[in-house]
Amino acid sequence: MRPLVLRWPSFRLIERAALPRWALRLVGPLTVLLGWELGARFGLINTLLLPPPSAAFGDLGVLISGGYLGKALYASLFRVVCGFALAVVVGALLGLAMARIRLVDDFFDPIVELLRPISPLALFPLAILWFGIGDGSKIFVIALAACFPVILNTFAGARSIDANLIRAARSLGASEFEIFKGIVLPASLPHIFTGIRLAWGISLIVIIAAEMVGATVGMGYMVLEAQQTFRTERVFAGIFVIGAIGFVTDLGFRRLRRWLLPWYRETQD
Amino acid sequence: MSGAPGQELVRFDRVTLTFPGVNGRPAIEVIRQLDFRIETGEFVAIIGPSGCGKSTLLSLLAGYLPPSSGRVLFRGKPIAGPARERMMVFQQPALFPWLTTAGNVAYGLKLKANRGNGRNVQSTVDALLHLVQLDGFAHHYPSDLSGGMRQRLEIARALAVDPQVLLMDEPLAALDALTRRRMQGEVLHIWEKTRKTILFVTHDIDEAVIMADRVIVMAQRPTSILEIEEVRLPRPRRREDPELAGIVRRLSALLE
Repeated sequence: MRPLVLRWPSFRLIERAALPRWALRLVGPLTVLLGWELGARFGLINTLLLPPPSAAFGDLGVLISGGYLGKALYASLFRVVCGFALAVVVGALLGLAMARIRLVDDFFDPIVELLRPISPLALFPLAILWFGIGDGSKIFVIALAACFPVILNTFAGARSIDANLIRAARSLGASEFEIFKGIVLPASLPHIFTGIRLAWGISLIVIIAAEMVGATVGMGYMVLEAQQTFRTERVFAGIFVIGAIGFVTDLGFRRLRRWLLPWYRETQD
Repeated sequence: MSGAPGQELVRFDRVTLTFPGVNGRPAIEVIRQLDFRIETGEFVAIIGPSGCGKSTLLSLLAGYLPPSSGRVLFRGKPIAGPARERMMVFQQPALFPWLTTAGNVAYGLKLKANRGNGRNVQSTVDALLHLVQLDGFAHHYPSDLSGGMRQRLEIARALAVDPQVLLMDEPLAALDALTRRRMQGEVLHIWEKTRKTILFVTHDIDEAVIMADRVIVMAQRPTSILEIEEVRLPRPRRREDPELAGIVRRLSALLE
């Protein structure tokens, strides 16, 4: 179905320019980059504070060929993937259990609601004491911060199942386990998936911040070190990479959902 | 196993249902002292004003609710809970959206409780999809189907576990007028082919009289029976039949 979009008549000309949609979507970011580059070249902005994108991309090449980016990226992504995976597994299981078993809900809900408003970074100094300056402390804060959206979305999904679906399954002869496996779980999957996407975004945000507070390697550390030595083009190179990772992985998540949940229509929400 | 036609299949024995009052609100008596019986193979329609507890009555039969007093008997035994011998067909189809059309029909057959009954899953699914005229849609998801098709799929899914009675809760109420008329014919066709007992709740008097052997007319809450009308007209029945129109007129007057 075509989404309802208001059109200004003259924009039709651009749309008729026979550009595919993805190419059209590149126009915005490229315009910003071009304006920025020109502003820097013509001395309109202080390039010490805001170096032109070309300088940032140039430094990105240096970082790649020197192997420095690869090392930082590997360290950061390893921590993110571990923390995120922990958050998804624990969050989904806890969310499902809380939604379907009253006792579990009564036990965990106050704990979740008490911990949720605490900034995960407030716990990071403690995490360093417990798990050291290496991977452990980062994985811990990422898992903690990222598990809340998974818990809450899973819970909402498992609670919002149409009661008649469960009744129908029960009439057909399903056991409690078969209802959980065959009805509750698949019916909650779209919500769980939304939670997972949010958790990934949070993981990417938390890792950079954590690595700026205390780390010896990683993307956050790389950006902070560049700032302290006043290499702003390197700061931007790092920021570009972080942004690109977020963009590409979210695209991947959408593809994955279309593949895993072909029956799900976003418009049903 | 489904019993001979004419045998008693369902009996409501002085059934009363009261929902307790919550937070100081008064208790609601939904059904009062209800007595009736349904025979094997019958097509019974239940009509009554909306909110009169017709759906609640089906929930009692499906085993989703216990009565407050009295007994709901199925083949002489009190109903203890949901079971595949009594299948509900919901007004808003409660299809499993993550399963295809064929997957929805096969769901019941693949449950542990129904395995090893000697029925081949694939051929049963094919036969049922053919019965409800959904052959060719086996690999579509429910969201790809129209309202009438979803309703037929729900009937096929219920029939898969070979129930003895189909409990249909205003199954055609959400359909447009034309689809609704066609579906009335479809349901009768399915009934004639399978000879299942059907209990069909509707608020449409025409629909009840055109389809059913007997029409049970309910009064406003608390539900009790105003009248039971035997419709002895031969099928297929025609809306224009003056005798049929006469019955409809009389029942309408009763409900006003």
